[in-house]
Amino acid sequence: MRIFIVPALVAMMGLLSCNNFEYSPNQVFDKNSYRDINAGNLKRLGDGKGDDTVRFVLSGDTQRSRDETVRFTKKVNDMPGIDFVVIAGDITEFGVLQEMEWISRSLSKLNVPYVAVIGNHDLTSRGRDAFINMFGPLNYSFLYGGVKFVCHDTNSREHKFDGNTPDIPWLKAEMQPQAGVSNFVGISHVPPNSLDFDEKLVKGYTAAFAETPGFLASLHAHTHNYDLFYPDDSGIPYLTTSSMGNEEFILATIINHKISFERIQF
Amino acid sequence: MSGYSFKMAFVALLLISGALKSSAQGLKFLIPDNAIVQYAGSIGYFSVGAGYDLFKNKRGILDLNYGYVPASKGGELNIVTAKFAYRTYEVQLKDWGKFYPFNPGFFLSYTFHPELSYRFNRNRYSSDYYRWSEALRPHLSIATELELNGDKFLKGSGIRAVSLYTEFNTNDYYLINYFQNTSELTLADIFQLGIGLRLKF
Repeated sequence: MRIFIVPALVAMMGLLSCNNFEYSPNQVFDKNSYRDINAGNLKRLGDGKGDDTVRFVLSGDTQRSRDETVRFTKKVNDMPGIDFVVIAGDITEFGVLQEMEWISRSLSKLNVPYVAVIGNHDLTSRGRDAFINMFGPLNYSFLYGGVKFVCHDTNSREHKFDGNTPDIPWLKAEMQPQAGVSNFVGISHVPPNSLDFDEKLVKGYTAAFAETPGFLASLHAHTHNYDLFYPDDSGIPYLTTSSMGNEEFILATIINHKISFERIQF
Repeated sequence: MSGYSFKMAFVALLLISGALKSSAQGLKFLIPDNAIVQYAGSIGYFSVGAGYDLFKNKRGILDLNYGYVPASKGGELNIVTAKFAYRTYEVQLKDWGKFYPFNPGFFLSYTFHPELSYRFNRNRYSSDYYRWSEALRPHLSIATELELNGDKFLKGSGIRAVSLYTEFNTNDYYLINYFQNTSELTLADIFQLGIGLRLKF
């Protein structure tokens, strides 16, 4: 009889030390949660003044792809000259805290700072609040090397096509001419050629970018397939990266007010 | 079924069971055998419940719990849970208690929160868009239980036994993440812990 007791107690103690007291899969933070990842990483990134070659990685849809995310971080760490990484939405599959923690744990091994943008899956369950706690606001922008990166929520379907997603007045305000900013890049999850993007807002959205002097590109994820398209005659490229699970990302380079892209498999 | 009608059905069930309990002798089986308090374990910051001993050998466990997660702990959530488990091994500890080292089980939790629906709105999402339920969560569990004999420790209290248990659980979300990422997620990542106290009348 006693044979059960010792191994069971040992196993119990070992497991207890893991400290996995979970109150609910739907809780939006716990005492181990990362906080304000975007703000912290952007502080680390700095403003890139004097950096005349802005080079960053665009990936997305890390949902259920932690093995690939680990390989991705190794690949990016082996590449020289990268300033930062953007994960353009769908950090999670089910919008739960644990998934955000697992993916963040892998991404924290990146040598360069990374930022995350909200995706439609991240808005299921209580993912919205979990995302805000762990990463920060759904619409935000940052300046690096004279380029303003305008990150925003385009997950219209999850906002019931309420007419405010994407928030075009906010985008326009962010893209006003500004000292020290010569170019703009838009980054969001759902591309405007998707049925999940509010069709009533497509025209206003692309027009807002077309009207912004120095606007270089609109970057997206969501479809899990590489796509480069031009929805209007402004000449502005709209690019969708493949997913983390498909083991492909985009390396974007901005030199002398021009942006170029490279598809990289890993 | 919407979250609202689910809530109503649950309330109705509680009322009916309460009414039955007070009237009919034959429905004595509705009176719980145990009272439970639990900390964590994915069904509340704290939860309270009523437990039933199942089967002739009383090794089956059926627990109905209500749990609460306050906003300060990542809520605010109200959770009802129905648990089933089986005490596969029973180890007699002289005259003072029993040890149940391995109680595998299954439980369903339903979480009430305005942002959690039983099913995604089919007007807005085609049936293959999001396939899961946000509010209803299936879990697998493994518990270890140490039971102290009431006659020995709590003489005359009317309490047959007091047991302390630890319970690990995981859910469909975590299992899917685990099986698709076996090299980078560990069992310790996906199993979540709760501890509880059970009073047996």
